[in-house]
Amino acid sequence: MIHLVGIDSGSTMCKTVLFDGTSIVDTHVVKTGWNPRDSASESLEVLLQRNSLPHNEICVSATGYGREAIDFADCAFTEITCHAFGGMFLTPGIQGVIDIGGQDSKVIQIQNGRVANFLMNDKCAAGTGRFLSMACDTLGVSLDDIDKFADLYDAIPVNSMCTVFAESEIIGLLAMQKDRPQIMTGVLRSIAQKILQMTSKINFIQKTPLLMTGGLSKSMALIRAISQTIGIDVITHEHALFAGAVGACICAQKKCLGTGDGTK
Amino acid sequence: MVYDVDEQRKQPALHHGEVLVLRGGILMGANTLPSQFEGFADARKQGFLAVKKLKDEGKKVAGTFCTYTPAEVILAAGAVPVGICAFSDETIAEAEKVLPRNLCPLIKSSYGFALTEKCPYMYFADLIVGETTCDGKKKMYELLSEIKNVHIMQLPQTQDDETAKELWYKEVLLLKERIEKEFGVTITDDGIKNAIKIKNEERGLLKEFYELSKSCPPPITGAEQLKVLYGSQFKFDMEAKNRELRATIDKVREEYENGVENVSKNAKRILITGCPLAGVTEKIVTAIEGSGGVVVAYENCIGIKPAERLVDENEEPYKAIADRYLQIGCSVMTPDNNRYALLSGLVKEFKVDGVVEMTLQACHTYAVETAQIRKLLQKEDIPFISVETDYSASDTAQLKTRLAAFIEMLP
Repeated sequence: MIHLVGIDSGSTMCKTVLFDGTSIVDTHVVKTGWNPRDSASESLEVLLQRNSLPHNEICVSATGYGREAIDFADCAFTEITCHAFGGMFLTPGIQGVIDIGGQDSKVIQIQNGRVANFLMNDKCAAGTGRFLSMACDTLGVSLDDIDKFADLYDAIPVNSMCTVFAESEIIGLLAMQKDRPQIMTGVLRSIAQKILQMTSKINFIQKTPLLMTGGLSKSMALIRAISQTIGIDVITHEHALFAGAVGACICAQKKCLGTGDGTK
Repeated sequence: MVYDVDEQRKQPALHHGEVLVLRGGILMGANTLPSQFEGFADARKQGFLAVKKLKDEGKKVAGTFCTYTPAEVILAAGAVPVGICAFSDETIAEAEKVLPRNLCPLIKSSYGFALTEKCPYMYFADLIVGETTCDGKKKMYELLSEIKNVHIMQLPQTQDDETAKELWYKEVLLLKERIEKEFGVTITDDGIKNAIKIKNEERGLLKEFYELSKSCPPPITGAEQLKVLYGSQFKFDMEAKNRELRATIDKVREEYENGVENVSKNAKRILITGCPLAGVTEKIVTAIEGSGGVVVAYENCIGIKPAERLVDENEEPYKAIADRYLQIGCSVMTPDNNRYALLSGLVKEFKVDGVVEMTLQACHTYAVETAQIRKLLQKEDIPFISVETDYSASDTAQLKTRLAAFIEMLP
């Protein structure tokens, strides 16, 4: 059985997965850095060495904004398609995916095992990882500590959607000696509002869950804020960070190893 | 010879009328074109020489913005109509000294070219004809008329109403009067009838040309199709243009019948609709055709809309012209039933896999109408995506991701 390596070269992190056709064998994640090709090829080497696999026995599939730079990949797909297929693999039965990335956020609807609709926010930083990372910097909290830090019950609204103005707003709130954990929760709800703008344009049903993927999927506080705001169950998965990379493997299985040809 | 914008910028001390390419933006990859498209790709670039020559010969030039301008009236006066909608971001900064930033880039760009005198067609135009189409354009025309000789036609915003038809008919007659006065000519009955005939002939040929892409796979790419549709605006000898169109059609058909396969049969067949698309916004076509799709039809101002309807040659000429032009579908009309009818016909005729709508930033009428188009195509069961863009290159990567994802999701 030929192994597949899926590379999801995002704006912040490069996520790689070794896939044996039915399950995830190994994963690796590094900073994308300034050269997406370098971080991708280094990740590939790590996975191959760790699992004693030769180059000629693998199929490499790329996704993410850096996919065009990964010239050694056998095929490439957009992150929309990959997150959908990766999401269905990790958590069958979902009706869609919410992916909050470093520089964009997207909502994907899945019907009958295919992408039925999708919306992307890539025009501004509102509701993206960049927005949260700015807020964390301003509040002096590490991104990893959001869940421990955020107030469970109360929030001080952060109204500015624009990252630059939101920073001014948070600085203003801090100057007024407002409660930091409550500001943090306000920030999370502001991201949830931005996601609501997208989910409300798609005909989602209430009962079936959405999968949250991307680097922020490990924050239960954010997932809770989103779920409450959009009124739909949102779940996550231990490999949710790798949904795009797994999806790239599955798309490659269908296309590169199947009948058709992959398109970059 | 093929220039691109950068090449043109390197040219020293360009005089008015020698700067043509700067207006329309980039004609990409023209040197790799099959020979039959070169004449059209070059037309825009060579157009200024042609216009200058015509001017030297004493011909009058009328600049036009919209497909609603009745070209027949201009042609019948022995004058030359030329499209002056601009498709490059080069003069937007200049235009924004006067116009608001949050305005359609086509309007800003066109006005900017008038201000900077960088567009040879705008520069040479003896008269510019505009219509009260969208809010942005009609207010821009007020400013334009301070620096250029402008004639405004009052375009009704509905198409079935008898008073609307009556008003538009009168506007066509007023245009005739203005042109006769400006150009010092009398338009004869034979003159207008001949103009109708030759314009109809051109429409028939353009239709025959773009309908070649009804074949599966299409004989030509969408980028190639657009070169001919756009370039044909800049060929000013109508009879020569029609002969060239005929030759192009025959050549494409012959190659196709000889088994030359230009486009993969697996390519997803895309129809583009929405705002005028040319020049820099060809980035949409590039993204589609670089992601496993092929554009088979353009339901745009440069494309099917101006060619689909003919002027009735058996009617009173001005009445026939007025009736024909008023029925063009555009989001400035309310309701815009003719656009919906045309679209639902085209998606079937061209066996379309998906529809991509392009709206330009701050084009309210098209942006609002997107909801209607989405509903219409849902009923037809045709996948649909709408993307907003402007004249900058900043969203090239994002457009590529969106459009590639759209093509990947097509069954």
